[in-house]
Amino acid sequence: MGSIEGILAGFQVALSLEGIMFVLIGVLVGTFIGMLPGLGPISAIAVMIPITFGMDPTPALVMMAGVYYGAIFGGSTSSILLNAPGVSGTVATALDGYPMAQQGKAGKALAIAAISSFVGGTVSVVLLMLFAPLLSSVAISFDPPAYFALMFLGLTAITSLSEGSTIKALISAVVGFMVVTIGIDPQTGTQRFTFGNVNLLEGVDFLVIALGLFALAEVCTLIINRKDLSFDNKQKLGSLKITKDEFKEMRGPMTRQSFLGFLLGVLPGAGATIASFIGYITEKRLSKNPEEFGKGSVKGLAAPETANNAATSGAFVPLLSLGIPGSGTTAVMLGAFLVLNVQPGPLLMTDRPEIFWGIIASMYIGNVFLLILNLPLIPYISKILKIPRPLLISLVIMFSIIGVYAISFNTFDLYMLLLFGVIGFLMRLFSFPAPPFILAFILGGMMEQAFRQSLTISNGSYMIFVESPIAISLLIIGLLSFLFPIIGHFRRKKEV
Amino acid sequence: MTRVGVSPSFREQYEQNVFFYLFNHYFENGYILKVLNYSYKQAIIFRFHKGDKIMRKYVAFLLIAILISVLAACSSDEANSDASGDWEPDKSIEMVAPAGAGGGWDTTARMAAKVFKEAGIIEEDIGVINKPGGGGAVGWAYIAGHEGSNNHLFVASPPIILVPLNGQSEYSYDDFTPIANVIADYGAFAVRADAPWDDLNDLFEDMKADPESISVVGTSSPGSMDHIQFVQIAKAAGVDVTKIKYVTDPDGVGLTQLLNGSVEVFSTGVAETVEQVKAGTIKVLGITAEERLSGEVLEDFPTAIEQGIDASFVNWRGFFGPPNMDEAAVKYYEAKFKELSDSEEFSAIRDQYGWDEMFMGSEDYKTFLDEQNETVQTLLDELGLGQ
Repeated sequence: MGSIEGILAGFQVALSLEGIMFVLIGVLVGTFIGMLPGLGPISAIAVMIPITFGMDPTPALVMMAGVYYGAIFGGSTSSILLNAPGVSGTVATALDGYPMAQQGKAGKALAIAAISSFVGGTVSVVLLMLFAPLLSSVAISFDPPAYFALMFLGLTAITSLSEGSTIKALISAVVGFMVVTIGIDPQTGTQRFTFGNVNLLEGVDFLVIALGLFALAEVCTLIINRKDLSFDNKQKLGSLKITKDEFKEMRGPMTRQSFLGFLLGVLPGAGATIASFIGYITEKRLSKNPEEFGKGSVKGLAAPETANNAATSGAFVPLLSLGIPGSGTTAVMLGAFLVLNVQPGPLLMTDRPEIFWGIIASMYIGNVFLLILNLPLIPYISKILKIPRPLLISLVIMFSIIGVYAISFNTFDLYMLLLFGVIGFLMRLFSFPAPPFILAFILGGMMEQAFRQSLTISNGSYMIFVESPIAISLLIIGLLSFLFPIIGHFRRKKEV
Repeated sequence: MTRVGVSPSFREQYEQNVFFYLFNHYFENGYILKVLNYSYKQAIIFRFHKGDKIMRKYVAFLLIAILISVLAACSSDEANSDASGDWEPDKSIEMVAPAGAGGGWDTTARMAAKVFKEAGIIEEDIGVINKPGGGGAVGWAYIAGHEGSNNHLFVASPPIILVPLNGQSEYSYDDFTPIANVIADYGAFAVRADAPWDDLNDLFEDMKADPESISVVGTSSPGSMDHIQFVQIAKAAGVDVTKIKYVTDPDGVGLTQLLNGSVEVFSTGVAETVEQVKAGTIKVLGITAEERLSGEVLEDFPTAIEQGIDASFVNWRGFFGPPNMDEAAVKYYEAKFKELSDSEEFSAIRDQYGWDEMFMGSEDYKTFLDEQNETVQTLLDELGLGQ
């Protein structure tokens, strides 16, 4: 039972004074950077890499892992309070978190986010510890047709994300698809919609879209409605306390999404974003009052928050056991490993068990720290909303600009940010929902690549999508999930 | 933030980290100051206007929030403030990596800058700058904008030939001034450990018989490195290169696709295969080097040439200057890079990253590049990818 010894050794590392100290530093830095709008785990890890230089690898990596999940934990704050998601994993959090904060329940929204993050994080670490060695086979089980099917399933959320006009939601989604095709097409190397502009070769970054459509559009709305008296309402922070009923509501989503989120996190490339959206729609589908979603529903907030934190732990499976980074953030994490001369991969568990298990064990402690740190801070953090509007608005604009500029130090991106701010504002004005746009943008790129990879491999035969058992089951679930609301709609019509 | 316990080499390596940049660029342009100033004024106006006493607290909070972000910037950079503080364009050198942090170009640039400084080869400060985008095109456009400058260098490798030939950059290698090549790296072709092929000839025989049954995966798009290195070797072995099925996995999970059986062959860099070979999950059928490499595991990889396929592909890496760099400056840098290449410090770095020594001076480099360009052009034309 080498792995039990390994786990014990891991706890030995994690529970040593040094281990505890570095976990604490890691999660502290992580949450604080994560809380700033526009800055997510990538910036947090990048800023910490120089500090680890020359350190012993185990405490250094324990700290870096803390920075990573700490940033995801803290990332929900800017989504909830300011509608300015800094990481793609927290876009879904804004859908119900921001309305809740606007209803004067900011404190409660943050508390729900913190608790569901904690549950998602902790349950998934247990899963990680029990199954990490076995899960590496799950991580590679998805072939391109299966990825395509998974993205398709995610996309069926579009119809669920629309309030009001489904047509408008679909139009938004189509525009999202169009925007994601900008840049060099990886499968052929052809330039698409770049208009000969060298700055568009790499395509439009996610952060530009998210901060433009969410944060800047919100800022525009706030400025236009500045004489609105309802402002004073919004400054109420509300009670932190979660009632028994609310807790009951959270229980279901938290349990289900801890598992689902973790599994999706294990798949390289899927990660926290897709987990949070899929979590959101499954809960909406399962809910008895789906109409509450998008208007400050407790379930709608608990689901994506649980899922994205669970997925973050899940992402450690391919990273640690295969050396495959599943996302931009884990790629930077991989860089942090390499700087310390640690090569993650199939041999890490046998060659450096103290690192492998130390990181996993430290995540228990890290999650507890995050909860203890965050809950008492909520009343203070939520006071951000009490900052006078003009100041708050200028702050949001400043952080959005910093966040976007940090992507590639290119001022062109700032103009794109402004452009998408204007587009986002116009979309609101004509009530086109932004979430379908952003969902199509996140999933569309990967979906197209997976689709075309599949067809190249199958020599153009569409049978490949039916032959793979994973793909066909996901496609059927997706189709059902797409059709159910429509069938339900017709039924209701008949009854009337 | 203290710098206790941090070795000096870290400074060079990370001197241009993200936050330093943010800070520097904003500060230079006065953005931060303007925003601060505006915020403060607004706050004061508000305070008088509303008569809210606690407003001052918020201003303090705000300033602290901003300070934290600025501090994050400074923490990584106190020591560099001299580097940027008395920045004299005539003396300091800007070394551009036309890609993001962490990749091959970035590592080469940072390591070269580090050795230049530590071994005292170049006294002046060298700042490494990342200009990611368009597979290099954004960085090349930036360098082309510094025509005639003697204080700009950039690191380059085969993509500077491949990307323009694919029509993705208006600037090509012959727009710039080649200074010196420094290192060489090679490609590897890996298959699953349980695959039916034991060497490249087995694989290529099957590809000749039934090209549709075998897919190759790589990280770069068709016509770029991972694709071309495979095509070049396969062509020499007599495979019809127009029938090769090549799949791009831009997220860098090509290895996943190899392991789960979606594709048969993974075309990548030699270093990327080592861990998996050690773990026994994949085997390397051949590498693109002319001779066997040295080092644990690496020495077991057979070359294509020893398998009777007369072709090789070098992932060379060297340094260029902007268009029309002064002759005298080229001479100066050429000598300095020679010194770098011969230094013990750089030799250690080559070993650490598994790079080979491959020095070429400006003239030789130019000839070499012309030859490479011609080979690739022929290949791309044959593939129907040339522009």
